[in-house]
Amino acid sequence: MARQEIQVELLLSRRVYALNGRVIGRLEEVQTELRGGACFVTEYHVGAYALVERLAAWPIGRALLKLFGGTRRGGGYRVPWDKLDLRDPARPRLRCEVGALKPIEEED
Amino acid sequence: MNLARDCLDKQLLDRHGRKMGRVDGLVMELEEGAQPRITFVEVGAVTQAARLHPRLGRFVAALARRWGRAPNDPYRIPWAQVVPTGDDVTVGVEAEATPALAWERWLRAHVVGRIPGA
Amino acid sequence: MKKVFELALGIVTSVGGFLEIGSITTAAQAGALFGYQLVWAIMLGGLCVIFLVEQAGRLAASSRRTIPDAIRERFGFEYYAVLLVVMALVMLLVLGAELGGICIALEFVTGIGYRWWAVPVALVMWLIIWKGTFSFIEQGVSALGLVTVCFIVAAFILHPDWARVAAGALPTLPTHERARYWFIAVSILGASITPYLMFFYSSGAIEDKWDESYLGVNRIIATVGMSFGSVISIAVLVVAALVFLPRGIRMEHYQELARLLTDAFGVWGVRLVAASVGIACLGAALEITLEMAYMIAQGFGWNWSKNQRPIAEARFSLTYTIVVILGALVVVTGIDPLKLTVFSMALTAATLPLAIVPFLFLMNDEHYVGEHGNGWLSNTVVVVIIGLAFVLAVVTIPLEIFGGG
Repeated sequence: MARQEIQVELLLSRRVYALNGRVIGRLEEVQTELRGGACFVTEYHVGAYALVERLAAWPIGRALLKLFGGTRRGGGYRVPWDKLDLRDPARPRLRCEVGALKPIEEED
Repeated sequence: MNLARDCLDKQLLDRHGRKMGRVDGLVMELEEGAQPRITFVEVGAVTQAARLHPRLGRFVAALARRWGRAPNDPYRIPWAQVVPTGDDVTVGVEAEATPALAWERWLRAHVVGRIPGA
Repeated sequence: MKKVFELALGIVTSVGGFLEIGSITTAAQAGALFGYQLVWAIMLGGLCVIFLVEQAGRLAASSRRTIPDAIRERFGFEYYAVLLVVMALVMLLVLGAELGGICIALEFVTGIGYRWWAVPVALVMWLIIWKGTFSFIEQGVSALGLVTVCFIVAAFILHPDWARVAAGALPTLPTHERARYWFIAVSILGASITPYLMFFYSSGAIEDKWDESYLGVNRIIATVGMSFGSVISIAVLVVAALVFLPRGIRMEHYQELARLLTDAFGVWGVRLVAASVGIACLGAALEITLEMAYMIAQGFGWNWSKNQRPIAEARFSLTYTIVVILGALVVVTGIDPLKLTVFSMALTAATLPLAIVPFLFLMNDEHYVGEHGNGWLSNTVVVVIIGLAFVLAVVTIPLEIFGGG
């Protein structure tokens, strides 16, 4: 499999799809760890939004939705790096069941 | 470190603390089965334009090829030289030597520098 | 104690931001048509601005970032680009109105039509920015801005019934020309609560290298500085009520402004009006020009600071130069300055939420303000202002049709 280069800034805010093709949320953060001078991706944070879901395409929209209770089931999911299929960066897909994902604790 | 919160869009400072733009983009290298790595910080108008709309990105890239003051690809800084501090992102380069300040240098020499009192 | 001399930032922000062509003309119109009835609108505008400016200073001092810096970092380049384009367009129109104000002032004392002054005024303003440091501009405009105290002096000379002036602090319903009353009230608020005022204050705080130790002083400066502007505006209203109202002068043409201080100061009246309007508008024009350049430079991460030589920041210098040229062009086109002022204020009010909503999030985000985040009072005031801005935006259009000039 060839090496792929992905622009992280274009990945953020994209809808993330479950195995069955349904949208589970938007990719809102990429957590990394610094090891030996290199930066490795550890997990992706996918925020689950309802109400005016289109707003969640923008960080300010997500902030507004969080404020007005437009988030679903506790805020979102943590997706380990190996459980997200990025071969098509425009359509990130889960590689596992949604139920297997840990939730993001509401912080901030 | 969280990329969106701590790295993207943060102020870039060179090794002397001089401002040289912002982190406009981050390049992730993906290999099947291997843990993804962030390989470059990307700076420049083409990267910015692409964030607004892919067509705008291509348009600005075309402009850069015609009028560019620097190598035409977006300026990339290898991760080995990057130190995110939480507040901003310091890179171990000399701003003056990089394409990030290409327009600054050109304007200084040809326009601003020629006006008395600069 | 030295920090209190930083009061200059508060005064210059006030003189340029609060006291400028929009607030002067709306205060004069308010006095000319409704006597002291609209004093409450000026006070309300002033109070809102005190809260916004204090928060802007607190954000800058705690996060060591200006508001544009923080908005891009927190909400991304995509949002920032939209905000920048919208604000740049609106600010350009307001700049045109302010440069127009300086030109009108020069017309008052020389008789030469305002359009002829556009290019020389723009050139002088450009030179001030080019050669002057931020401190020089800040302190210079503050010092010169004190000339506007002549309105307070005039108000005392003309002996108003102060009890009735005080009564104007409470909102009352108009007995005549209702649509006009509310239009002017809305215009007064639209003229005072401007995003560029807060952004400029935060840029100035960073230019002056504020840190957490400035938080207390920031409160004093925001309060005193913005109150200064409010008090002068109220004085303008009072004088207009005493001079224009009895004569039936309705302040519908900018030339009428020249006669405002003649009763109080005789021959010097016109010169004092010209000096006050000219300096206030110069302050505003400098503030807007700098803030447009700051927003662009900060958003893109360039070197910026008025305390450096132009050659050290070529892109920033080129940016403000282009802004000055575009502003002058707006005046040269000959749009009636009064109409442009009114229109640009309505647009400012309409676009205010784009800047204030992200600002509100920042003021509650510990990554930026740490433990100095907003309490319930500050948050409530900002939410009310956002609501007010929507109302202003929606209501201004019909009011302009039915009640406006």
